[in-house]
Amino acid sequence: GGYVQSPGGFGSPTGAQAEKKQRSRSQNIVPCTVSQLLAAEQVDETFRICDVEISQVTVVGIIRHAEKAPTNILYKVDDMTAAPMDVRQWVDTDEAGGENVVVPPGTYVKVAGHLRSFQNKKSLVAFKIMPLENMNEFTTHILEIVNAHMILRKNLMSASRVPQSFSSTGMSDMGSYGGGGSLPVNGLTAHQSQVLNLIKSCPVPEGMSLQELKVQLHSMSMSTIKQAVEFLSSEGHIYSTVDDDHYKSTDAE
Amino acid sequence: VHPTGKLLVLSDGGGKHTTVELSEPLDEEISGVVEVVGRVTNQATIMCASYVQFREDKSPFDLELYNEALKIIHEFPEYFPFG
Repeated sequence: GGYVQSPGGFGSPTGAQAEKKQRSRSQNIVPCTVSQLLAAEQVDETFRICDVEISQVTVVGIIRHAEKAPTNILYKVDDMTAAPMDVRQWVDTDEAGGENVVVPPGTYVKVAGHLRSFQNKKSLVAFKIMPLENMNEFTTHILEIVNAHMILRKNLMSASRVPQSFSSTGMSDMGSYGGGGSLPVNGLTAHQSQVLNLIKSCPVPEGMSLQELKVQLHSMSMSTIKQAVEFLSSEGHIYSTVDDDHYKSTDAE
Repeated sequence: VHPTGKLLVLSDGGGKHTTVELSEPLDEEISGVVEVVGRVTNQATIMCASYVQFREDKSPFDLELYNEALKIIHEFPEYFPFG
């Protein structure tokens, strides 16, 4: 079936979150190569590339073929990492012309869309297809792919579920995290990360108590710890166990 | 571009040159940055299967940066697989 077509004027890709119709935990829009998309494994409704959840993606390539049908335009986009991929763009039949001009073959484009698989064949449903005006975007995309996949995989190892959308700035605030081992997690402050990591590392079934946290985190006041715990709990990273003073991580084994 | 129109000499972001052989002579004028897709021959030239001219009307293409990006993706095949 159709989906909400985004109006003209391409804003940051992260704005696409409002248009997802599936209840997907992945809020990222991840730059990928066609070869990565083809290699992605599918479990139920989710795709994964080396355990990183993939839903919305961007791909940069050249249009090899364009076929116009009454309700959609089917392109074959080639980024040279694999055979050209089918990219379908739905046409709003109420609008005359406007966005639905077919992009000619031989043009480099940036496609933002959803990964789909039908009868074991992968394709993309595009919500935005933009011809590249500045070819340096091509270089940027290549670098963003390496950057994004590297960070996403590293995040999985420090096991947080807080997603972050990837614009060209990538991860921020790496410097603010003082001692303690794992990578600062996207979206959490240094205090929250520290509290979360301690709770995660607790092997005891009752979880970690607030008193324990205070003992381990001497520099943090009790109220800061409590605030961090409340935040983490409302985000779903931790849950209370025997009472409101004991917490375990939702990511712990 | 060679007078017969069948050979191109390209220089890359690192200042190195390559000869590209086309299957048919060029039927258009070509200048600026070109992307050639083809096979490497034993004589270290490229047999061109297709080519595309990069748009530089709005901004120039930074070929050196592109070259650096290529080095990076070859260093990380786990994040940038080739079919």
